[in-house]
Amino acid sequence: MPRRVSIGLITILVVCVIWYAVTTGLGLIPSGRFPSPAETWSAFIHVSGRGYGGGDLTLHVYNSLRLVVLGFLFAIATGVPLGLLMGWSRTAEALINPIFLIIRPIPPLAWIPLAILWLGLGDAAKMMVIWFSAFVPSVINTYAGVRNIDRPVIEAAYMLGMPKTRFVGEVLIPGASPMIFTGLRLSLQASWTTLVAAELVGAFYGIGRVLNVAQQDLYPGMILVGMIAVAILGWGTTRLLGVAEAYALRWNTAALAAKG
Amino acid sequence: MGVIQFKGVNKIFGPRETGFQALQDINMEIRDKEFVAIVGPSGCGKTTCLRMVAGFEPATDGVVTVDGTPIKRPGPDRAVVFQQFALFPWKSVYDNIDMGLRNLNVSRSERESRIADILNLMNLTQYAKHFPHQLSGGMQQRVAIARAYVLDPDVLLMDEPFGALDAQTRVVMQEELVRLARKNPRTVLFITHAVEEAVYLADRVAIMTRAPGRIKEVLDIASIRNAEDWDSHEKIEDVMDLESFVHLRTHIWRSLREEKAAQHA
Repeated sequence: MPRRVSIGLITILVVCVIWYAVTTGLGLIPSGRFPSPAETWSAFIHVSGRGYGGGDLTLHVYNSLRLVVLGFLFAIATGVPLGLLMGWSRTAEALINPIFLIIRPIPPLAWIPLAILWLGLGDAAKMMVIWFSAFVPSVINTYAGVRNIDRPVIEAAYMLGMPKTRFVGEVLIPGASPMIFTGLRLSLQASWTTLVAAELVGAFYGIGRVLNVAQQDLYPGMILVGMIAVAILGWGTTRLLGVAEAYALRWNTAALAAKG
Repeated sequence: MGVIQFKGVNKIFGPRETGFQALQDINMEIRDKEFVAIVGPSGCGKTTCLRMVAGFEPATDGVVTVDGTPIKRPGPDRAVVFQQFALFPWKSVYDNIDMGLRNLNVSRSERESRIADILNLMNLTQYAKHFPHQLSGGMQQRVAIARAYVLDPDVLLMDEPFGALDAQTRVVMQEELVRLARKNPRTVLFITHAVEEAVYLADRVAIMTRAPGRIKEVLDIASIRNAEDWDSHEKIEDVMDLESFVHLRTHIWRSLREEKAAQHA
């Protein structure tokens, strides 16, 4: 096992021991404030078995994950092309940028009431809010990525007689890709934040729904289960994105490794 | 063929009245398969000359032609070697060299054999699968030269190609370029501020004035090189020791020094 991983595991273990000590062991924190490991475990069994807040854990996780993945994919499928267009064409930039300047300062969560008003409490409203929050970072970073491509590299492509169709796929996108991936990571984080917030406001299923019901039921163990579930899902999806990034940017990681 | 002509070329960046005049009344002809170097003080517009032949900059007045046709846009018939290499960092050495041939719709088998030849000629065969960042500066520039040469262009444009290299690598590259140019002569326009490099490589050296850049004088190196039989010396330092070489170098130095002095006066 690599050193970094083993140290990480030890840290987690120590935190768990302290957690046990201050709740069950020493009783410093009453269980009404913060759940003990045993209470958390029983809440986990509760939601995985009998179910809680309208469904079992699998159903809630499935719903949240589905919405995040769809909203995220929808956001990057629209955001990245728009960023490429704005980065490449001064005209497109001049047309679109003013809209961005107005919309950008609005926190994505502020769109939740409007989304619910338009689309109700179902999936569509959440997708819209996730799209909104994930769209902006993917556009901005893609745009910056295109602008950061070395001018001589673009001139080299012209000099080599590259047709426009190939230029987008072989110069523009790979050239901007380090920044595009920065945008995707920010978009993914924003997707999770927004999803949980949107589900807290109103949902039939999902991890945010579990958190919301548990809060009303004064059920700290269940709240913690929901929080841990979001943490694990967020970590897992970010990790997947990291694998894709490492593969897509292997020419760049080679560059980083060479620089030491 | 690859005859380059500058006819009455002016270049002004910005508005005509208030802009910066980089070039003034450039008239020059570079013959087919001739190697011409342009030297001049920094900011004299020598790179702008090259960029106009490449099709990256339009002339404000006058016309730049290749084989009589005015230049409108960049293209693989005028291959450029950039100072900062300008390789595609996301493509392997092989794919970088392959790019221009693919754009010209050359058949796969012909591409493979031409790339194999140029890799061999440039001593790059074992690095075909490497990414540019895994190579030293000298190796990267070798790839950039291979990427240009593989196209078999009429005209080769080199913009201070060795400017970013250390002194030793530079000498090796200069010797290799001479070897390549003798083996497979092209029309070459070579921009540099290194006087020795210009005298060593070029058939003719054009000296430019400070901005607005004009052609101050053009020296015929080839006739002296042939008369004094420079090519019988294999090493660059042996050539640089020859009296005829030193004489030319000193002449160009003086001429450039005058420009520098006038610039600061």
